[in-house]
Amino acid sequence: MNRATIMNCVSFLTLAVATTSLAAPLAAQAKDAVNSDDVIISRPGVLPSAVLEMTDEPGKWFKDPKSGGSLVVVKPGEAVLIKMTDTNTDHTITSLAWQPGADKFPVDQEKPSNASITHTFDKPGLYVFTCKVHPYMFGAVVVDDPKTEGLDIGGELQLVTGAKVPTTSDIAKKLLRTFFVATTPALWRDYRQPKWEVKLPDLGLNLGGAQINLSALSLSAPNTLLTPKTPGVGEVWVNTQFEGVSGKTKFGTATQIDATNWTLKKKVKGVEQNMNNPHNMWPDPTYKYIYQTEWFDKRLTTFDRESGKVLNTQVVGQNPSHVMTSPITGMLYVAINGEDRVAKLSPGEFPSAMGNINVGPHSGPHGHHLTDDGKYMMTPNALAGSVTVVDLATEKATEIPTGGVIPIAIWSDMNHKAYAANLLGTPPAMLSSLTVIDIDNKKKVKDIDLAADYDPISGAHKGEAYGLLPIQTPVSPDGKYVVTANTLSATVTIVDVKTDKVVKSLPCEAGCHGVNFGHKKGGGYYAYVASKFANDLIVIDMDKLEVVGRILLADSKDGQITAHNGMGGQGVLPLPIVERGMLAPTLKLAGTGKLSAEVEGWLKLLTKEQRGN
Amino acid sequence: MIKFRGRFGFSLSFALLLIWPGTFTAASAASAGDQHLITLKASAMPSGQLAYEMVSHKVKSPAGKESDLTERYASGATIPGPTLVMKEGDVAEVTLQHGIADAQLPVSIHVHGVHYKIDSDGTMKLLNGVADEAAFPGKPYTYKWTAAPGTAGTWAYHDHTFGNPMLGAEDKGLFGTLIINPASGKVPALIDGKVVDVDLAEIKREFILWMHETTFWGQELNHIVEGGKEIPLWTNPTVGARMGEKVRFHVIGIGTAFHTFHLHAHRWIEPGTTAGVDTVNIGPISRTSFVVKAGEGVGPGDWHYHCHVIQHMQSGMMGDFRVIE
Repeated sequence: MNRATIMNCVSFLTLAVATTSLAAPLAAQAKDAVNSDDVIISRPGVLPSAVLEMTDEPGKWFKDPKSGGSLVVVKPGEAVLIKMTDTNTDHTITSLAWQPGADKFPVDQEKPSNASITHTFDKPGLYVFTCKVHPYMFGAVVVDDPKTEGLDIGGELQLVTGAKVPTTSDIAKKLLRTFFVATTPALWRDYRQPKWEVKLPDLGLNLGGAQINLSALSLSAPNTLLTPKTPGVGEVWVNTQFEGVSGKTKFGTATQIDATNWTLKKKVKGVEQNMNNPHNMWPDPTYKYIYQTEWFDKRLTTFDRESGKVLNTQVVGQNPSHVMTSPITGMLYVAINGEDRVAKLSPGEFPSAMGNINVGPHSGPHGHHLTDDGKYMMTPNALAGSVTVVDLATEKATEIPTGGVIPIAIWSDMNHKAYAANLLGTPPAMLSSLTVIDIDNKKKVKDIDLAADYDPISGAHKGEAYGLLPIQTPVSPDGKYVVTANTLSATVTIVDVKTDKVVKSLPCEAGCHGVNFGHKKGGGYYAYVASKFANDLIVIDMDKLEVVGRILLADSKDGQITAHNGMGGQGVLPLPIVERGMLAPTLKLAGTGKLSAEVEGWLKLLTKEQRGN
Repeated sequence: MIKFRGRFGFSLSFALLLIWPGTFTAASAASAGDQHLITLKASAMPSGQLAYEMVSHKVKSPAGKESDLTERYASGATIPGPTLVMKEGDVAEVTLQHGIADAQLPVSIHVHGVHYKIDSDGTMKLLNGVADEAAFPGKPYTYKWTAAPGTAGTWAYHDHTFGNPMLGAEDKGLFGTLIINPASGKVPALIDGKVVDVDLAEIKREFILWMHETTFWGQELNHIVEGGKEIPLWTNPTVGARMGEKVRFHVIGIGTAFHTFHLHAHRWIEPGTTAGVDTVNIGPISRTSFVVKAGEGVGPGDWHYHCHVIQHMQSGMMGDFRVIE
C-alpha cells in the first residue's frame, strides 16, 4: 500500500485521540450549567464522544463520520453512539470481543433491527463489534487511558465464543490484523499489483503492559496468478460483492468467468436497479435466468444469464442471503437472513411469492441447502445456534439445537448427511467447527474440530486441522470431501466424508468465503473459492487436492468500475451445476430446444460420471 | 388556535408580509409582533455528529425595544439545536452560517409550521425550482419566517441539503425546535382534573424531547433562571421539576422510526379535545406539546418516560421525569 494510505491510517488514529479531548470541556460545561443553580433539577444524559454509523459500504460497515475509518478512540467513562441511519436493511450490534469484566458487556441485540445504542465504556482496552447477520461487518472502540503509554488494547480479550485469550496470543493478533485488513480497502489483496503489502501504521500498542508496535503485524507476499492446465466446463459466476460501479450508490456485481479459457466474460452490475451487495446466485434449469440475492438489502433480482440484463427486482425480506431451487418443483427458496423464514417463490422471469417456511424463532437462516433429491431443506440458523430440517413436501420444520455459534452455511451429501459450518465454533472446546447432521433422523451426530491442530496462543499448527472461522462448506458431488473456506486463517480445510477428519488444509486469501464445485473437462471436479478481501478466484483440483489456479476477477479495462475492482468474492455459482439431482432437470431438457446452444454444448462435454448415469 | 385564526383572518399575515422589516432599521413600528434577528451555525460536534449552534439572537419589540437573547443559549453546537421561541404575530430573519469543517456541501434550514416565501424553503433548486437556499462555506443564507396567526405550536427545523439534496443530514443531528406560542398567551391543559387555560407565564420549565431512532435527545428551557436558560440534556436524560409545578413537554419525532411516547402516572389532554391521554404516537416530524402539573395526584418520584415500542425500550430509549418536593 502506498505512503498516502499509511499516513491516512496514522492520521485517523491520532485524529481520533486528539479530538476526543474536546468532548470533555463541552460535557463539563453542560454539567456546570446544571449544577450551578439548584433551580435546574434535570440531569443530562450521556453525550456520545464518538459515533460509528453502520453502512453497507464495503470496508466501512461501522463508519466514523470524522475519519471515515472503522475505529474510534475514547477515554474511560466516555460513550460511543452506534447507529444505523445509512443502511438499507436491518442489523444487530453485537460484541465480538471485549475487555473481561467491562461494565454492561457483552452488547448484543437479539433481533436484527435499525436500533441504535449509546454505550459508555469504563475499562481501557479494545472492543470489537459486529453484526450477527453480516459477521464481517467490523467496528472497534479503543478505550485509551491517556496516562498509559501506547494505545490501550488490554491484556486479554473476551471472545463471544466464551474463550478468553491474551492479547499477545496469535489468535488475538490475527483478529487485530484481520480487523485492519477488512476495514481498510487499500489493504485488500489486488492481484493486478506485483505484491500484497499489508503495511500497518507505526503506532505503539499497550497489551496490558506489554508494548508492541502495530506495524509489527504488517506482512508482504508476492501476487502470482495461475491458470489451471486443464479447462473447466461451462462458466463460473462470482459475486464480486464489494465492487464500486459508476452510476449507482450501492456496491457489488456478478462476475462471469469462462471456465473453458479462464477469461472474464462480463459483469452484471444492476446500475439502474442500484443492485446492493449481491451475495449468492442460483439458476433456473434452462440456465436462462440467474436469481440473485441482495444481502444488505431486501431484494431478489433476476437477470438474463447471456445478456446480463436485469429482468426483475423485488422485495422479499430483510437480508436475503442465499437462493436455491427445488430439483422437483423448480420452486425458489430464498433464505431471509434478517428474519425467521425461507421465502418460497415461483420460478421464471418474474418470480412471485408463493409462501414462507418459518424455520424457528430468532433463527436468521443464512446459507441453506436442499438435498440432491429435493426432499429436504436445511437452514443454518445464524442467530439461533441451530439447524432446521424442513420436509419440503409437508413444509414441516424441525429445529435442531447444535450449540454452534453463528452457524452460517450448510451442505448435504447424497446420503442425507449434512455439514454445518459454525463461524465461531462450538464452545467451550472448539474455536471453529463443522456440525454433522443426520437429516433423516433430524439429529446432530457430532462436531468436527477444524482447528484441532492449531495452538491459539503460539500460533503453531502442526497438522492439517487448521481452519479458523469457517464459512461456505460444500460436499463434493462424488461425496468424498467437504471443502470449507476459513476466513480468519485464510485456509481451505478438506474433510474426508468417510472419516469426518480434516485431511488437508490449503492456503486461500484473507476473507475467503464462498466455495462451490464445477466440472473439470474430461472428468472430475474443481472447487472454486472466492475471497472478500482479494480479487482472485482460487481453483482447487479435487483429484489432487491442490491449488491449481488463481483467476483474476478484476477487469482493468472496464471504466465503469470505480472501486474495489474484482473484490468482495462471496457467492460462487459454476454452471452446469455439479450435484446430480440438481443437474438432472437441465439434462432432461437437452435436445428439446429449451436450452441455448451454449448450454447444450456444455452438457455434451460432461462425462458419464459427471452426468450421474 | 383555530378560534384565533377565525378571529383575525388572513389579513394580518398578508400585512406582515408587506411590511417585512429586513433589519431593525426598517420601518417596523407597524409590525404587530416582535422581530427576531437570529444567526445560527451548522457545525460538527466532537463526536462527528452534525448540529446547529446559536451565534446570536436579538429581538425588537413593536415599541422599538431591543433585547439580546443570545446568553440564554448553550454555547457550542447541541443536539437538538437551539430552541427558538416566538409567538404568533412575530417575524424572524434567520441567517445560517456554514461551519462544518472540511465540508463544501451546502447545509440549510427547512422549517415547519411558520409561513415563508419559496426562497426560504431551505432546499436546493433541484427541489424548489428557484434557488439553492443553503449556506456554503463563507456564504451564509438568510431565511424569513412569519409566525402568522394559526401557526402556534411546536415545530421542527432541520437541514434539507447536506450530503443529499433530497434528504439532508437531519439523521446526523441537524435538527432543532421552533416553539410558536399563541398570541393569547394561554394553552389548554388538564390541571387538577379539569381542562383549564394555563397562562404561559406560569410555566417555568419546558422539556424538549426528540425521538430519533432509539434515542431521546433532550433539552430544558428554564424560565426561573433570569432571562431564561436553555440546557442541553443529551441522550435519554432525567428531566426534573418540583411537586405541583406546571411544566410543558414538547415531544418531536425525526428519522424513520415510529414511536409511542409514554410518561408514567401523568395525564394530559389530546390537543383539540378534552380527552385525557398518557401516550402519544410520534412519527417522523410529528409532534405534540402538553402541560402537566408535576406529580398531580401521584406525588413525588422518579417517574419513568419512554418509547413504548419494545425493541426501542430494549435499546434504552427511556429516561425519568424526576418530581421532588
